[in-house]
Amino acid sequence: MSGPAELLGSSAAAIAHAVRSRGVSAADMVEASLARIEATDGVVNAFTELTVERARRRAAEIDAVLAAQADPVASGLPLLGVPFAVKNLFDIAGVTTRAGAKIERERPPATHDSPLIARLERAGAVLVGALNMDEYAYGFTTENTHDGVTRNPHDPARIAGGSSGGSAAAVAAGQVPLTLGSDTNGSIRVPASLCGTFGLKPTYGRLPRTGTYPFVASLDHLGPFARTVQDLALSYDAMQGIDRRDPASVERPVESTARALADRIDTLRIGVLGDYFHDQAGPEARAAVAKIATALEATRTVSLPQVARARAAAFVITNAEGGALHLADLRTRAADFEPLSRDRFLAGALLPAAWVVQAQRLRRWFAMRAAELFQDVDVLIAAATPCAAPAIGTEWLTINGQRLPARPSLGLLTQPISLIGLPVCSVPVWGCHPTMPIGVQLIAAPWREGLLLRVAHQLEMAGIVQAPVATLAPT
Amino acid sequence: MDSETAETYVDAAAAALDLPILAEHRPGVLTYFKLAAAMADLVAGQVLHLEDEPAAVFRPIDSTDVGGEKKRNR
Repeated sequence: MSGPAELLGSSAAAIAHAVRSRGVSAADMVEASLARIEATDGVVNAFTELTVERARRRAAEIDAVLAAQADPVASGLPLLGVPFAVKNLFDIAGVTTRAGAKIERERPPATHDSPLIARLERAGAVLVGALNMDEYAYGFTTENTHDGVTRNPHDPARIAGGSSGGSAAAVAAGQVPLTLGSDTNGSIRVPASLCGTFGLKPTYGRLPRTGTYPFVASLDHLGPFARTVQDLALSYDAMQGIDRRDPASVERPVESTARALADRIDTLRIGVLGDYFHDQAGPEARAAVAKIATALEATRTVSLPQVARARAAAFVITNAEGGALHLADLRTRAADFEPLSRDRFLAGALLPAAWVVQAQRLRRWFAMRAAELFQDVDVLIAAATPCAAPAIGTEWLTINGQRLPARPSLGLLTQPISLIGLPVCSVPVWGCHPTMPIGVQLIAAPWREGLLLRVAHQLEMAGIVQAPVATLAPT
Repeated sequence: MDSETAETYVDAAAAALDLPILAEHRPGVLTYFKLAAAMADLVAGQVLHLEDEPAAVFRPIDSTDVGGEKKRNR
């Protein structure tokens, strides 16, 4: 039987199994997680808040129930005793929801947990803290001026990606096996790619956003990060279900994806997205796509039309909705905003309405074209980022001879997909860059998360994708 | 959109919205506004038809959809 420190570096499923079989206590797992955070976060800077008392209290409750054998349901919980953490835009009762912003930390603490936190805890998980992000989720780098940069655990000189950078880094650093983040234009898939973790951005509307700080209501999604596909599936299954307080939340039956991970995938029609998705991918991104395509015996290249226009529509909608959301504070205290995104928010507040309406019309047009493509294919493959993690402070990228501004360009390959709400599982590929991982997006038609997780799981079982814990020197 | 048009529009729209743009923020705001204009040009280049309605569709709310959670001011 492994000890708590070794278990922490394995998976949520292994931890739950060990807690269930009394090989380790939930309290042991919380202490192992806190110790790992203490040892590594001086370098990584993933956490902005620890919920130590709450975590110890919750773990003690779990251990007491198990010891008394008082609740036969408890021992069957899929995430029993699993430490987890959330991007700091999730409401945590008693904690101020900072959303990466200086302005927000003046506000009173949240009075309730967000529903997704409550659902994970009902599945047995234990919240240990909140994680760093780009201010108000407007960025792809987690170079947060107020809370400091989150460093990539696989190379602390590089960015972790963003905006859910703390969520990816905490998993890659082995601090917790499971985290939650948000994805408006790529903010789960970009950091998952750069930190070498698995990440799931479900279909728009699948997981309710109630009790989280919004960015762009038209495009905001929530989802998990983990080091195994089974952990993604277990957490996703635990979080499904409508919440009518979120206007985008959709009523659909709960799909048990974890039970179906080993189902066959050999009859699936898989296509590699070409054109734009090839042109905007650098050499290591193209190599990662080729590696996945070869493993899945995907020989077809398929295309979506007008992808650059779709990405532009995502840019315009994001800019306008984000600027409008923060207009009151932009009027009175613009200097308190993150310098890296303040001017974008200000500009976004000024966009003409016709630009935004036209972008929303193009969004529907593009979704129709994707739906047509999915009549002929089940899974699409594309790189998640144009390149592996750049150095902290990088201003410009050169992708296939194009000189591009680094911060917005990290989302070039993710934005067109989240624009139309398709489910995506980002899988980590190694060996295409000399030292760093890079992610590949597995994309399906709406509501087909289970299919994506099956494909990702079988790639993992074949050793094609993996998310090892980073080797970090203690601080 | 040329620079002069962008500057004229940004100044007028900011005044209409009662949104002060500090001198040190103005160059960045103009850069990003021009970037948004380029993106809007790309969007406008796509031929759309009457049936291509905006993707954001309102869903009527009945009394069972109203939650009791405290709202943030915005």
